Amino acid sequence: MNIVVLVKQVPDTATERKLSAADSTLDRASADGVINELDEYAIEEGLRLKEAHGGEVTILTMGPDQASDSIRKALSMGADKAVHLVDDALHGSDAVQTSYALAQVLKKIGFDLAVLGSESTDARTGVLAAALAERLGVPQLSLASKVEIDGSTVRIQRITDYGYDRVEGSLPAVLSVVEKINEPRYPSFKGIMAAKKKPVEKLSLADAGIDPALVGLAGATTQVVDFADAPPREAGTVVKDEGDGGAKLAEFLAAKKFV
Amino acid sequence: MSFVESEERRALRESVAALGAKYGHEYYVRKARAGEETTELWAGAGELGFLSVNLPERYGGGGGGIGDLAAVLEELAAAGSPLLMLVVSPAICGSIIARFGTEAQREYWLRRFADGSAKMAFAITEPDAGSNAHRLTTIGRRDGGGWVLNGRKVFISAVEEADAVMVVGRTADAATGRLRPSLFIVPTDAPGFSRTPIAMEIVSPERQSMLYFDDVRLPGDALVGDEDAGLLQLFTGLNPERIMAAAFATGIARYALDRAVAYAKDRQVWDVPIGAHQGLAHPLARIKIELEQARLMSQKAAWLYDAGDDAAAGEAANMAKYAAAEVAAAAVDQAVQTLGGNGLTTEYGLGTLVGAVRLSRIAPVSREMILNYVAQHSLGLPRSY
Ligand SMILES: Cc1cc2nc3c(=O)[nH]c(=O)nc-3n(C[C@H](O)[C@H](O)[C@H](O)COP(=O)(O)OP(=O)(O)OC[C@H]3O[C@@H](n4cnc5c(N)ncnc54)[C@H](O)[C@@H]3O)c2cc1C
Repeated sequence: MNIVVLVKQVPDTATERKLSAADSTLDRASADGVINELDEYAIEEGLRLKEAHGGEVTILTMGPDQASDSIRKALSMGADKAVHLVDDALHGSDAVQTSYALAQVLKKIGFDLAVLGSESTDARTGVLAAALAERLGVPQLSLASKVEIDGSTVRIQRITDYGYDRVEGSLPAVLSVVEKINEPRYPSFKGIMAAKKKPVEKLSLADAGIDPALVGLAGATTQVVDFADAPPREAGTVVKDEGDGGAKLAEFLAAKKFV
Repeated sequence: MSFVESEERRALRESVAALGAKYGHEYYVRKARAGEETTELWAGAGELGFLSVNLPERYGGGGGGIGDLAAVLEELAAAGSPLLMLVVSPAICGSIIARFGTEAQREYWLRRFADGSAKMAFAITEPDAGSNAHRLTTIGRRDGGGWVLNGRKVFISAVEEADAVMVVGRTADAATGRLRPSLFIVPTDAPGFSRTPIAMEIVSPERQSMLYFDDVRLPGDALVGDEDAGLLQLFTGLNPERIMAAAFATGIARYALDRAVAYAKDRQVWDVPIGAHQGLAHPLARIKIELEQARLMSQKAAWLYDAGDDAAAGEAANMAKYAAAEVAAAAVDQAVQTLGGNGLTTEYGLGTLVGAVRLSRIAPVSREMILNYVAQHSLGLPRSY
């Protein structure tokens, strides 16, 4: 099976993240780049499916040069090879344009199953899986907490507010995963040493057959008009127990719709 | 050599740190207090090949160097789990067996170290031979094709979780005088071998024991290397030991400094975070500098050892271990001070390390013995003892 895992490099959520004042895009220099957390679950699932069914896992990343660190890490976890779509003209692409660009690459390299995290920690639009499936004309199996493949049928448990739905579709397909699905492995020493020898193919827009007019900040379908720092956190509510502490806590939680 | 570590070394650190973060200091303390072993962490690290990064690939190891193993220990320690057994089993015993062991010994032990299924403790210290190893009195006597071992050892770490102990003794022919050590592998279940735990005030899952060898019969192949190869064999193990002891210490120093800095940024006693007061900021800055010095010295020592320059590695490893122990003790001390009362609470996980960093100044070789070494060997000053 030809499994392609889409991996995005995002700024580390543990550090302070900023937008650039110049064009309201992400300031990548201000924070360390790491693999988007949910994509680690996607990589893990890709590797497990390969271990169970054979085939190959290819990492597909769209991002600037420094995203190669994240690609290397994905390879050290055990993926076989990588494709890196890197081109200055992609800067500032929004979700719609990104789905177009990645769909073009997926058409070019071919896939049985494209796996991705259900959202990224930076943009958090969570629409990429759906957009890709639409553009590629294949089924979307989204928010999977469990996956089984039987011949050319993919069955998943799709998490919902009330539990899960069983959903099935046929290959080729796009699969998005949630963190319940597995526990991503850490790169082993052998994996790390092997990663540097694994092939990483760099593609430009032209290589991938991407029309430059359809990507990039200038033609983006959405626009960041303004942004401001999040307000500092306000002091919390202190509930003093004067015999009615439990009731007050319950009231507070109910007011916030937690219970 | 470069002052910046290779991409692979950095990736190794990142992966070990992620594993270490999953466990953290609380896990380490919980295991220590319950008298349990860090089985889960050890097995997890073993599966990923972290416990044998320095051992030859032929026997299932990672094919890296002591610098890689030191990175593993430093990252685990920085995450709050300074595993003493890493200093002993893969570093001392692994290095000696890889270099001087027979093919059968390598096949047997290195494979098991590599897959995490066996551990080996290391015993040199005796009640009357700590800093002065020339006073060792553990004797192996030839008996037909095998050996009979008699003697005592003290302060031996982690024997409770070891499958065997590498015992530094002498042969009957070399029973007195300047040490010509012989190394024996003694299974922990060998008849005549017994052990009593020593009550210690260090919070550590690995315990220390007194060992007794009463006519312990060993097969001929219990001997590692030559009975006459003497100190060279021993130093093959002791240079990695010092480099690892340094990594143990710099890892703890990083852990303590991280906690102190985080606290100093957050805690306000007057109108500014306490980290704004130079009385707290400068000591932390000094520790940062001394930590960088110790880490660079450790990397140099590892590099020399991995490059095969044992003589130069000896001096570098001793100096690195000295610098690392000093900064670790200073870092924990200053971190406790920075946290005030919280510095001694269980919750903040610093008081638990006071014993461990004092250990770094004593073992495997004391601060004074390193200063003696540097005075005599590096400076050519006369010897006082
Ligand atoms: C927690 C712990 C774990 C250990 N684990 C192991 C282990 O796994 N295996 C093992 O073999 N050993 C182990 N040891 C033993 C350790 O290596 C010794 O404690 C150490 O070498 C010091 O020896 P000693 O305790 O006999 O001190 P001594 O040799 O009695 O020294 C006492 C003091 O005198 C000083 N001193 C001695 N001679 C001189 C001199 N000429 N000039 C100046 N000062 C001098 C020393 O520096 C020290 O401060 C461990 C010790 C501890 C505390």
